[in-house]
Amino acid sequence: MKINSKKLIRYLLAIFVIFSLNFIIPRAMPGDPLTNLLGEDFHMTEETLQELTEQMGLDKPLHLQYIDYWGNVFRFDFGYTYHLKGPVTSVIFSRMKWTLLLVLPSIILSSIIGSLLGAFSGIKSSKKVSKMLTLTELGFYSTPTFFLSLIFLYIFSFKFGLFPTKGFYTTGSLFDILHHFFLPITIMTLFLNSRNYMIMRGSVIQEKSKLYVVYAKAKGLSENQILFRHIFKNSSLPLLTILALDFGFILTGALLIEIVFSMNGMGTLIYDALLSRDYPILYGAFMIISLMVVLANAFVDILYGIIDPRIGDGT
Amino acid sequence: MTHHIEELKKFTINKINLSLIGIFIFSVFLFVAISADIISPYGPWERFEPYSSPSSDHLLGTNDMGNDILSELFHGTRVSLIVGFGASIIATAIGILIGLSSGYYRGLVDEILMAITDISLMIPRIPLIIILAALLRPSFVIIMLLIGLLWWPNIARVVRSLTLQIRDSPFILSSKSLGFRDRHIIFSDIIPNIIYIIIPKFMLTIASAMISEASISFLGLGDPTMKSWGMMLNFAFMKGALINEMWWWYLPPGLCIVGVVFSLMIIGFALEEKDNTEEVDE
Amino acid sequence: MGSILEIRELSIVFSTVIGNVYAVNKSSFNLNNNETLALVGETGCGKSVIANSIMRLLPQNAKVSGKIMYKGQDILKMSEKEIEKIRQQEISIVFQNPSMSLNPLQKIGDQISEPLLIHKKMNKKDAFNKSIDLLRTMGFQNPSKTAKMYPHQLSGGMNQRVLLAISMTLNPSIIIADEPTKGLDNILITDMIEEFKTLKRANESSLLIITHDLSVARELSDRIAIMYSGDILEISETESFFNNPLHPYSKILLDSLPERGFNPPKGTSPSMVNIPKGCKFHPRCPYVKKECTEKVPSITSHNGRQVRCYLFL
Repeated sequence: MKINSKKLIRYLLAIFVIFSLNFIIPRAMPGDPLTNLLGEDFHMTEETLQELTEQMGLDKPLHLQYIDYWGNVFRFDFGYTYHLKGPVTSVIFSRMKWTLLLVLPSIILSSIIGSLLGAFSGIKSSKKVSKMLTLTELGFYSTPTFFLSLIFLYIFSFKFGLFPTKGFYTTGSLFDILHHFFLPITIMTLFLNSRNYMIMRGSVIQEKSKLYVVYAKAKGLSENQILFRHIFKNSSLPLLTILALDFGFILTGALLIEIVFSMNGMGTLIYDALLSRDYPILYGAFMIISLMVVLANAFVDILYGIIDPRIGDGT
Repeated sequence: MTHHIEELKKFTINKINLSLIGIFIFSVFLFVAISADIISPYGPWERFEPYSSPSSDHLLGTNDMGNDILSELFHGTRVSLIVGFGASIIATAIGILIGLSSGYYRGLVDEILMAITDISLMIPRIPLIIILAALLRPSFVIIMLLIGLLWWPNIARVVRSLTLQIRDSPFILSSKSLGFRDRHIIFSDIIPNIIYIIIPKFMLTIASAMISEASISFLGLGDPTMKSWGMMLNFAFMKGALINEMWWWYLPPGLCIVGVVFSLMIIGFALEEKDNTEEVDE
Repeated sequence: MGSILEIRELSIVFSTVIGNVYAVNKSSFNLNNNETLALVGETGCGKSVIANSIMRLLPQNAKVSGKIMYKGQDILKMSEKEIEKIRQQEISIVFQNPSMSLNPLQKIGDQISEPLLIHKKMNKKDAFNKSIDLLRTMGFQNPSKTAKMYPHQLSGGMNQRVLLAISMTLNPSIIIADEPTKGLDNILITDMIEEFKTLKRANESSLLIITHDLSVARELSDRIAIMYSGDILEISETESFFNNPLHPYSKILLDSLPERGFNPPKGTSPSMVNIPKGCKFHPRCPYVKKECTEKVPSITSHNGRQVRCYLFL
């Protein structure tokens, strides 16, 4: 495995910083830390509150609280939601799988379509087709996912009745689930595709002016052969990096789509948590999304090591 | 000599300049933002008959509170643009400061600043803002600050790599040997040479900040006293504008977001691409 | 002795934002079967532009006029499909920056195999074995190991030899080497000269060597063409050139050789945007006359050699 130690330390540091932020925020923000930690909008007696303060160690000095906090983190205990009455982690995981079912196929689809279109457009960057395509993709790039969802929901579900207006499923059959997922995945794919397209196009434009590409041409390769034998692989490296770095951003985009389509994934969970001021869910979601981003970055690093021979040679 | 050909290629004349279209669209929005008070038919909080359809009195109808939607939209332009610009100015300033220091001083400074940058880059920004906004119940100034304080790492990285390149160029080395101070070199040699990369990044950051503001406001975390486009969309969505087919309520603010962001993206990408070389073959 | 490549009245202009750059002006020369021709000039004189134009590798903003006849066909008039068949199979090129010419993500062996896969439809294994053979010819001690390495693991000189190996894969009629000794120290230059001699023995190709280094030209070439600021000033047999250079610029160039006292030419080449009137060399020429400043002299034959100077008109 070719992941270098400097990167590994950086990932561990990132996790450390993010989790520490999560400790500091509820305690540093204005207001009562207990309220900031537990949320609002539910009623408890003075005694229970006192009990909870002790149970959560909020009466202890901060450094001891911090040590306890890390103890909880290592036990994967991210708190308890009094609103939904359950441990935050299990609530989030039960919703997360639905969100991933929306996100992962979209990432795969959009990476394939976006990189192919982007590469084509980058190679032909001075042609009219390429410029028109870029304008179209920029249009999707500029559209917030929730607004695109509103429009699609109105046109395809309300107006033409082609797709269900809400939820992940009604009967639970494969077709039923696909039917429910079709619009959200389409929107997510369009949104991600436009980003992947722009990254790939830029990357190909930069790559194609390199000398090895001119040399490949001198070897008698046709434009398509140059694209697929040389430029494509070399240009997709930045795409991989940015996909990993933006994983949090991608998830956020999906969350907003879920809210519009009333799908019970992470997005609606966060939205409901906001409406009912159920803060533990917000902290838990932040940490779990952060962990996923760090893992995605580490994964791409390993992938990089396999694709790019220059990495891990100490050069 | 191939080097020479590369040099010649860089000077290829660019025929179509898309950024002009972007500048035009953007100027229209800028005009509306500046003159919102004059061109709005009513005040954004003035109340009329609620839920009325478009008419000659109210070109885009009224909302649930009876506010004139067109007037709301014009004033919203101002709020949305201020948040976008403000956040981008903060982010760009921090990005330049960190990137320049990192690239110019190198060594330990570079190591530390880049570690901070890389880590900040991995923090999921919107989820963090959601938490902070939920706890703070913020004004739009705070949202602007939060976005600005979280959006700098990309710019810092770009500025750093450019500074590294320029620092080694002969003219900087000669400035150094002539005994010019660091501050002089940074301001009169380095900044003028990276500004052409920073401007498009600045534009794209405004676009990104505006989308983020809209998303946060759509979640109901916006400033209730300052109606941005995102807030308008949030109200329209919550009050069932979609189901009741009141397109005049949710479509205009959405289209405005798309319009401004689109214009900024065209300007940003057109400027960025201008720097790249064009087609090698015919 | 027939010629395999005839270049006639070749002009190349780059249209750029700073104005038109006149890189090559109405230049003509032949490359004969089996011969080695050295195209010599200072950096920026247009010699690499000629090399790239023969392969049709110039960027879009280059306007090329004249004729480049290869085996009776004009390369400049060929379709993209036709020129793809000429490249590598008929004419191959070795770029001056070998490490940048190779794809950083591909194994050396695969990059040598590529022309065999593409043009000869050879299977992958045979092509890889052939590439190992070629690496051995180019003097690699452990070619099967080198074939599995990546460009960044080899030195610039080694990558240069890899490029030479690639240029030989399909036994082309012409091999063009663009500044093969640029950036190399004296020992590596000696090695490089040996490698070209190996290449000439292994192949029956004609060789066009683009160089700024007269000693390299003397070691390798049969004939020599001197270029200055986009114009060809003299074409001679190498031996007679070194015995008796005709053009004043040739004389000055020869005086810059170490064994002749190393007197580098004074002054700089003129701008290619604002071209001086008359002979382009006149501002630096010790024999300058009035007519030199007014009109470009035409190139004329002189005892079987060609020279562009009023002294020989």
